[in-house]
Amino acid sequence: MAFPSKPLTQLLGSNGPVHALTYSSTPSTYILTGSSDRSIRLYNPSRPAAGPTNPLAPPTPTQLIQTYTAHGYEILDLCVSSDNAAFASVGGDRAVFLWDVATAQTTRRFGGAQGHAARINCVCYGGAGESVLISGSFDASVRMWDVRSQSGKPIMVLSDARDSVSAVLVGEGGYEVFSGSVDGRVRCYDVRAGRLETDVIGAPVTSLKRTRDGKGVLVGSLDSCVRLMDRDGGGLLRAYRGEGFRNDEFRCRSAFGGNERWVVCGNEEVKGADGEVVVWDTLSGKVVERVRIKGREGEAKKKIGRDGKEKEGRNVVSCVAWKENGRGDQWCCAGTDGIVTVFGPP
Amino acid sequence: MSGKRSRAQYEADLQAQQSPYVAFGTPLPPRDPDVRDDGSYVPVWKQEVRDERGLKRLHGAFTGGFSAGYFNTVGSKEGWTPSTFVSSRTNRKKDEPKAAQQRPEDFMDEEDIADAEDARRVQTVEGFAGLGSTQDDAVRRGGLIDLFRIEGETIGVKLLKKMGWKEGQGVGPKVRRKAYLDDVERSGDDADATHLFAPENTHMISFIRKNDRKGLGFDGETKLSSGPGESNTVKSEDEDDDRGLLAPKISKKKKPKTGGIGIGILNDTGSDDEDPYEIGPRISYNKVIGGDKKKKKPINGAANPLLKSKPVFISKKVAMAKASAGLRKCHDGRLPLDGFFLSTNDEFSSVIQSAGKYVPPSIPEGWKSSKQPKPGYQNAAYLSTAEAAKASKLDPKSRALILGEAALPGKSVFDFLSPAARDKLAAASGKSNLPAALGEIPEGYNMTEEERQKDLLAQIPKVDKYTADAALSRGASGFMPYGEDEAKRTRYRTFLEYQAGLYPILPEKPPGVSRDDWLKELREFANCAQIFKPMSGMMATRFTSSTTAPKLASDATGSSAPESLISKPAPKPEDPAEQAARLGMYGPMTRSSQDWYPTRLLCKRFNVKPPAHVQPGSTEHDEGGGPRNTAPDLVSKTAIDDMMRQSGGFNPNWNERTMENRPAEAAPAPVEKKEDVVVDAERNEALEGQRAGEAVFKAIFGDDSDDDE
Repeated sequence: MAFPSKPLTQLLGSNGPVHALTYSSTPSTYILTGSSDRSIRLYNPSRPAAGPTNPLAPPTPTQLIQTYTAHGYEILDLCVSSDNAAFASVGGDRAVFLWDVATAQTTRRFGGAQGHAARINCVCYGGAGESVLISGSFDASVRMWDVRSQSGKPIMVLSDARDSVSAVLVGEGGYEVFSGSVDGRVRCYDVRAGRLETDVIGAPVTSLKRTRDGKGVLVGSLDSCVRLMDRDGGGLLRAYRGEGFRNDEFRCRSAFGGNERWVVCGNEEVKGADGEVVVWDTLSGKVVERVRIKGREGEAKKKIGRDGKEKEGRNVVSCVAWKENGRGDQWCCAGTDGIVTVFGPP
Repeated sequence: MSGKRSRAQYEADLQAQQSPYVAFGTPLPPRDPDVRDDGSYVPVWKQEVRDERGLKRLHGAFTGGFSAGYFNTVGSKEGWTPSTFVSSRTNRKKDEPKAAQQRPEDFMDEEDIADAEDARRVQTVEGFAGLGSTQDDAVRRGGLIDLFRIEGETIGVKLLKKMGWKEGQGVGPKVRRKAYLDDVERSGDDADATHLFAPENTHMISFIRKNDRKGLGFDGETKLSSGPGESNTVKSEDEDDDRGLLAPKISKKKKPKTGGIGIGILNDTGSDDEDPYEIGPRISYNKVIGGDKKKKKPINGAANPLLKSKPVFISKKVAMAKASAGLRKCHDGRLPLDGFFLSTNDEFSSVIQSAGKYVPPSIPEGWKSSKQPKPGYQNAAYLSTAEAAKASKLDPKSRALILGEAALPGKSVFDFLSPAARDKLAAASGKSNLPAALGEIPEGYNMTEEERQKDLLAQIPKVDKYTADAALSRGASGFMPYGEDEAKRTRYRTFLEYQAGLYPILPEKPPGVSRDDWLKELREFANCAQIFKPMSGMMATRFTSSTTAPKLASDATGSSAPESLISKPAPKPEDPAEQAARLGMYGPMTRSSQDWYPTRLLCKRFNVKPPAHVQPGSTEHDEGGGPRNTAPDLVSKTAIDDMMRQSGGFNPNWNERTMENRPAEAAPAPVEKKEDVVVDAERNEALEGQRAGEAVFKAIFGDDSDDDE
């Protein structure tokens, strides 16, 4: 199977960089994007892109199905429940929002006095029957929220991290909770054994993904390297680097794809409107392909940096999602451009 | 009447019309009321002065002042404005440059200023001129000179005249000679007749005192108008006229007689007789028709009483002719001495003189100078010092040797160059004077292959056998760094084996790798093995030796050194796990494990049995906001639980586990740990300890009043 590098469609609508991108749970029909414009958008990528429409023709369903607006800050991460009835979103609001997909209303907001003290970077479902929401925050803590009870207090607060927690992950069987932090460590909390195993990566960890068998953890870090770590021994199985691959500034989320045949991650070493996604072979660690992501056409908005000078615009792909959690033949990516590009087999 | 009449016309008309018969006096004004009364008959004191436009120009009740200012005010049309004073915060009045102060001179006209200038000159009245005053020296001098200068003829002249001397004659016995008839040929025997004549007047030579810096015989720039001889002659006449013997030659200020360039009205010196528009050499034309061209000589009189002789101009031609005609006499009228003759060349014939009149005497044949020049010296071409230095074959070193200097420690590049390379360099630079190449080989490069190998071996980092062994054994048991690079791992293993002594041969340097890179890698390996110390070594790193000596009692009294206050803490030793991660040695080195206590609710939600070490009561405790957030109770609930558990003795396993590595904040320390702290209820350390000296308290709390009391 060749790498699906054919762009199928582009999902527009975001008015700012897209920070979070996820497929809905099986059968992964929909794509959810969390953008810095404080709204979550639900797309159906299989629908035809909105083109020049005939005003007399009956309205056709568009790709953008729903926009979820309740956040007051940018949205940094999303996770969808397995039954596709609810999803959780986090961002700068210091609260975990639990949404009802159909009504586009928040059913729960986990925050408040016992909540995070700073922006929340990541969220994921955990526990049996997805009864727990795990969120990692800039306040260097991981909090576990009980979805079932009405209590607003977190079930548990994990304060081992010494810096901002940038990624959380639930391991195989749901017994392990991984947290990746900017202090360069991946902590694995084993609920069943009551053990905490800390793996030192070195560079700030920005992304965590696991293989399906739970033996390997894909760790993205800000040293321009994606590592596949051995869960059991803590050793390094494979390091994914590459000439012209750079990731030392943005939180670039990496992902497995094609039944864990490839590792994909966005590249920072880009210029101009087009972005790039680097594809490695999982086993050999060699760069297989570099997928060019077509950026927004036309004159880009001028960005003024903090130093007052005009920033050179670039389109860094910060999040990559693979359909059906890495098993499908479709994937999508989005970045600072705000455009979600969906790729499929040619 | 078309135009407006002038006043004179009007008056004339008036008189002609109204009173045509009035010849004297002022006619009375007409009686017509429509005729303008010009006030002509009014008395003088009543008359009003009007200008030709009929405006009243004279004002003033008493003084008859004239119109001034604005309608006889001191102001203007805008009125009188007082001087304003403006000063703002940004523009301070006092910061401004002082307005020009009005001086009395501003209100004075030229006459007043001249008066003021006159008034300023302080001088004594002439009648008070005291001794030493030089003001009227000239007057006094003139008076003195008048004593010596005789008006008219001097007494000498009078005496001479009495003796028969006449002006224009020389002094001395009479001379018999032919009469000079000024070239007029006289016929007859009268021509040879001789008569007694008075001797010719001899001009005294007047020596010109030379007080300029011009060259001898230089008379300044020659003028077109006058030949040198002419001017000279004339000058000499003038001198005769004006000056006495040995009088200093005061050059007359001559008006510039240069050409027209630069001469204009602006250069006018103010003299009337100078024509500013004169161009070219001044040629004196006759400006008066019929006027003679004769130059007016100054009249000999009181101005020049000492010289009465009339200067006679003798032209050069005549003089030459006279000289060539016969024997000439010296200036004193005598003939030259025997064997001498007067030079025919006067001062103006220096050109002829220089043309070789007096040739140097010819060297006699066979004359030989007594001074012999050194042979060959003159033939040698001139050599500059630098060239001579170049020609020398000595190099700096040999020169230094000759001079006895100590050799410099450094060496030149050329010492190491081969002669071929030196030639190349010389060809490229175009310089032929480069130092000679010595072709030395620096030490370290002139080793044999064996020595070189030995040197390389010396540079290989050493890992002690124990460490290498340990690293190898750990590698054998499963862990070995460089998991991603199999070749490197092999090299590492070989290196370790070599260091452990298992493998006596030096690890081969792979081809294509530079020596430096290879050594670098070996150093990295050595580092790796160092980090990968056996466990005892690991434990050893947990403890660091103290950096400060324990404080002694004697130190406490002495003042501590000031640098200790600003001493920097030693840099934190790097976490070995981080170090390992940096080297890519992920695995046991980077992994650390510890117990973790999930809450019971979490276990429930994860649908797992709580781990055995999770205490049953912790659920409530954690649900209360976590141990960190709870306010510390006087005796915490968990502590009570602990005590209960100990007294009850249930779950005996529990204590052993927590003893090891339970985090302090997760659960309070067991009470039994505190047994070693012996609390003596009878004694309070703080109160009954060694009391500080009385002086200390006094120094702190004491005051002057205490001293007084």
